[in-house]
Amino acid sequence: MLETLPATGRAAAAPGRLSRAAPFVAAAVAALALWIAPLFLDTFAVNVLTRSMIYAVLAVTVDLLWGFAGILTFGQAAFFGGGAYAAAMILSAYGATPMGIALALATAIAAPALLGLVVGWLSFYHRSTPLYASVISLVVPIVVVQLIYAGGAWTGSSSGLVGFDVLPFEIEGYFRLAALVLITVTLAAWILVRSDAGRALVALRDNEARCAYLGLNPRRLQIVLTAALAAVAGFAGFLFANASGVVAPENAGFLFGTELVIWVALGGRGTLLGPVLGTIAIDYLSANLSGDLPFLWRLLLGTAFVAIIILLPGGLADLVLRLWRAFPIGRSGHAAPAIAEREAETEPVAADTPILQVRGLAKAYGSLTVLEAIDLEIRAGELVSLVGPNGAGKTTLMRCLSDGTEPFTGSIAIAGTALAGLTPNRIVGLGVGRKFQVASVFESLSVADCLRLARASRDGLSPVGRAATLSLPQAALDVLRMTGLDHRLDQPARLLSHGQKQALELAMVVALEPRLILLDEPTAGLTKAERATIGRVLKGLTAGGRIAAVLVEHDLDFVREISSRIVVLHQGRLVLDGTVEAVVGSELVRTIYAGGAHG
Amino acid sequence: MVKHLLIGTATLALAATAALGADGKPIVIGVPIGLSGANSVVAPSVVQSAELAVEEINAKGGVLGRKLALEVADDALGAAGAQKAFDSLIYQKKVDVLISMETSAARNAGLPAVTKGRVPYIYTSFYEGHSCNKNLFVDAWVPEQQVPPVVDAFKAKGARTYFLIGSDYAFGRGMLGFTKSYVEKTGGKVLGEEYLPMDGSDWTAIISKLKEAKPDALITSTAGGAPNVTLTKQLRGAGVALPFANLALDEGTAKSMGADADGVYLSASYVTGIDSPENKAFLAAMQKKFGAELRTPNDLSVPEYEAIYLYKAAVEKAGGTETAKVLETLPVVSFTGPRGTIRMSEEHHAPLTMYLGQIQTDGTVKVAGTFKDVDPGAQCPKLQ
Amino acid sequence: MLLILDILTTAAILFIVSIGLLAIFGVLKIINFAHGAWLTVGAYCAVVTAKIGLNPWLALPLAFVVGAALGGLAEHFLIRPLYRRPLDAILATWGLGIVVGQLITLAFGRDVQLTPNLLAGTVEILGVDYSAYRLVALGIALAIGTLFALTVERTRLGLSARAVIMNETLARSLGIDTGRVRLIVFMIGAGFAALAGVLLTPLTSVDPNMGVSWLIGAFMLVMVADASYRALAAACLVFGAAQVLISTFVSPILGSVAIAVLAALVLRISPKGFSRA
Repeated sequence: MLETLPATGRAAAAPGRLSRAAPFVAAAVAALALWIAPLFLDTFAVNVLTRSMIYAVLAVTVDLLWGFAGILTFGQAAFFGGGAYAAAMILSAYGATPMGIALALATAIAAPALLGLVVGWLSFYHRSTPLYASVISLVVPIVVVQLIYAGGAWTGSSSGLVGFDVLPFEIEGYFRLAALVLITVTLAAWILVRSDAGRALVALRDNEARCAYLGLNPRRLQIVLTAALAAVAGFAGFLFANASGVVAPENAGFLFGTELVIWVALGGRGTLLGPVLGTIAIDYLSANLSGDLPFLWRLLLGTAFVAIIILLPGGLADLVLRLWRAFPIGRSGHAAPAIAEREAETEPVAADTPILQVRGLAKAYGSLTVLEAIDLEIRAGELVSLVGPNGAGKTTLMRCLSDGTEPFTGSIAIAGTALAGLTPNRIVGLGVGRKFQVASVFESLSVADCLRLARASRDGLSPVGRAATLSLPQAALDVLRMTGLDHRLDQPARLLSHGQKQALELAMVVALEPRLILLDEPTAGLTKAERATIGRVLKGLTAGGRIAAVLVEHDLDFVREISSRIVVLHQGRLVLDGTVEAVVGSELVRTIYAGGAHG
Repeated sequence: MVKHLLIGTATLALAATAALGADGKPIVIGVPIGLSGANSVVAPSVVQSAELAVEEINAKGGVLGRKLALEVADDALGAAGAQKAFDSLIYQKKVDVLISMETSAARNAGLPAVTKGRVPYIYTSFYEGHSCNKNLFVDAWVPEQQVPPVVDAFKAKGARTYFLIGSDYAFGRGMLGFTKSYVEKTGGKVLGEEYLPMDGSDWTAIISKLKEAKPDALITSTAGGAPNVTLTKQLRGAGVALPFANLALDEGTAKSMGADADGVYLSASYVTGIDSPENKAFLAAMQKKFGAELRTPNDLSVPEYEAIYLYKAAVEKAGGTETAKVLETLPVVSFTGPRGTIRMSEEHHAPLTMYLGQIQTDGTVKVAGTFKDVDPGAQCPKLQ
Repeated sequence: MLLILDILTTAAILFIVSIGLLAIFGVLKIINFAHGAWLTVGAYCAVVTAKIGLNPWLALPLAFVVGAALGGLAEHFLIRPLYRRPLDAILATWGLGIVVGQLITLAFGRDVQLTPNLLAGTVEILGVDYSAYRLVALGIALAIGTLFALTVERTRLGLSARAVIMNETLARSLGIDTGRVRLIVFMIGAGFAALAGVLLTPLTSVDPNMGVSWLIGAFMLVMVADASYRALAAACLVFGAAQVLISTFVSPILGSVAIAVLAALVLRISPKGFSRA
């Protein structure tokens, strides 16, 4: 029953196919140009550019981490140095025999990858901050350099290693090798960031919490990315050791790490080509100028860096792109996928097991008790509203229901599974979808991409391409149709109105096909019409009898209209739990609302 | 300082243009050096003495009728920068020879380019020894030449136990390693050998260990410049008043330490106080050329001066600048300069007269002992 | 005994070096990577004071004023546009550090500068001969700590600063000019950093890059201390002790990375560092 809907983005499909081939053509042209370049360049330029291109490979990895995934790292230098030293040490010991080279190459990739795993594990954990990851990325090169200094004859200490056997290439050979590697790595990165999986990197940067609450494991993604790019950096180190014939401690140092960031920032983070060209240009220029103007050159570079960070965070590439887009020809439409309906996959819960079961839940911040002795049971088909004055503990309760790492006492179970200690992404795996009070979507992604990510934990993401269709469950499609979002699939989420963002987030949560859907004030700030739409959606969702919903709501009229049951929280306790009529008519509710905060 | 460098560059450019006017192309000497890195303290003095040598030689008609010209390149950020500097000089500026002092890391980083680019390289810095390459010649000291005068002098004063402190890098470890074996060979005892990373700035714990070990004498070998000054300041602050030899100290750095350097021993192949006509003429010429901008000539700058003369002699003997021939003549020619007669005859290294000096309150160095023609020992047996 | 003095004075020096960074991080939530440059600027104030023949101790007020003035300029032109981009602020201040370092190089050259000794000699304390200056540094650290505590707890500025730390929106709605608080705090932080630069001159060589080697340690300590000066004092004591003990009993090479590694691990286990205690 895969029914294809009239797609809005279809018209753009033809140029889309053309541009899909363009990167390969460009790469082939670049490869050809660089292949013959040594014939026209003097030895000095060939030598310096070889090194610049190897550095540019590193710049690509820094850009993927920082520009796309939002992880500001100074640590790529450590992985690069690690690879370079691994290669140099093994080549020193075994010589450039086929065995020695193979071993050197394998170690130069594997050792940094392992180190990357450790660093990733250290840097990324539930509730780690981006700042902490940057801190670790500062410490790693410092420690690696210290190890190199302390390595004595093994690492050559401060003198570095020199005079080891290298691959049997001439200067031009290394130039071509570096060029091919750079083009391959850049092309691979280009394909990755434009694929569906690449969208996940941006999503991670935009809104890590939302990723987790879509059932994606941000930690695993970040750790895998760190390790994989550490391996690439190690490979660049291997190339560097061979091409230059020398490795030195500062190849692994924190200053080199900052240098990489400077190149990427000047070139234009998040553009791939910007950092590549920026690195090559700056490194080549500094090789030519730093001899004549040693400190003026650094002064200029430092000033340019500060200016770019403040005034032009997108770097020089951003400037070029803006100019390019000023011409009509430069504007390329972003093709939206066709959307299709898919069959529901929610596994029905055995009728006798409640979807949510809360027993004796209590939570305190220090001496302040926020929740106390909460008992609650919710079954499929119910639409439960959680009401109470400000500070009653409603949002805290929602947090406990969706994040098992919140310290609480008592027990919470989703369809019979206790969720204490589970991170949000694993709770999503149990069938819980949470919509936040302030719409939490991926601002820089298109509506279609936001929805695709919502399906990622079930359908996976392609790391090489973009799927042409987006299959969503009926309920999510309903949300899109009712709110008109199905005509804006190709628009960036940041351009949506407040109400549309709320609707998009709701659609994303619904697309997860949860058993239990948690909504924190879904109608706050919405127009009357929008409220009515959301109300219809929720009623429709729960009417099937397979899904339950819990919403925190202040608008009592709205609550009365849609709820099947109302639960009243007051000062951290559950004071009333009953049908709409029973609760709304109760004296207690009137007292609470009269004495407490306004609705 | 800056002004001086700019003027320096300008005069170099002038010299280069003037040289082009003479018959044939000038002979270009590349000087890759740490103008802005770890060696920034001594580098300007090295450039000055190179400028003087080139000026003197050109004034007397140059070499084989060709003028000399200098190309200075900054190695900026250590080894990576050194690679760029060496590449730029060898491949872009197409120099005929490289003559300079460098850190061991920078020298090692540059050697592949020296080998591939096939130019001679006269290394003018003292170093930890055993760097061997058919294109590399050294006219400065190695541990085998520098350490014995210090240990012998301390021994004569009755010192039996020693404490060694250094920076954790090849030179520091190499020097102190040799010192330790020499001390033990001559019947002394090393109570402690401690290292701090090159960029370390807190010597507190090491100094406390030193104080608790209560040795008769202290020998240090740090990285040049900042670490050396930092360690000396902290030693003095802690009230360490032992007989103290600093293997990495030159006269210029001693001056920037002020009162902290008072009484420190150093061992060098050059001190300004050498009483010879060549040295006096050299100092007078330096004073005349640079006046107020003069950087105190030292154990790193004088070998540069002499190396340029040695290269001149080698080219003249070889009848041209062709690398293969110059490499044959370099070990046989000699030059008598401020440090005496220098010949790089011992496995690409040179026997040198060593001086034991002691820093005086006013920052000058008093010669406390002279050791004639100390042999560098077996540095590169495979090269012969 | 020597060990205890080493630990106390090392902690004192670490505290002096990092307090300026803490002030800025606490209120502005911005990591000032130009901190190293500010230390250097301070040290060069000592050089200038000596060159014009003034009493070396006069470098302290001079450095504070120069540091605060430059800090004011930096806050206005560089930091203000970046409050919402804290990671970019790290980069911009790092760039600023490069610029300041190069300007110092242009003005003074790259050499190690001769600085006057603030206080020479040793004193006999509890049976050991100990560096008089390090003991004075301990006193100065206590004085700075007290001054800082009084400012935070007893003055209007301190109150406003604490309000901004806790809840900036609320502070603004209460009529606190948060922009002004940020500016003043940044100036004070930069001033303290420059002051620390002067106090470092008897312990370390003065050259254009001197600040960088102190930056990482100070940065890690401040990360661990979060925004609390008390936690910073505790962190300086604990990590200073770790550095001295590891240097003494294991290896000075390990000791020199002790602060960075231990602080990273502490943060991994307890992201709020020492400020919880």
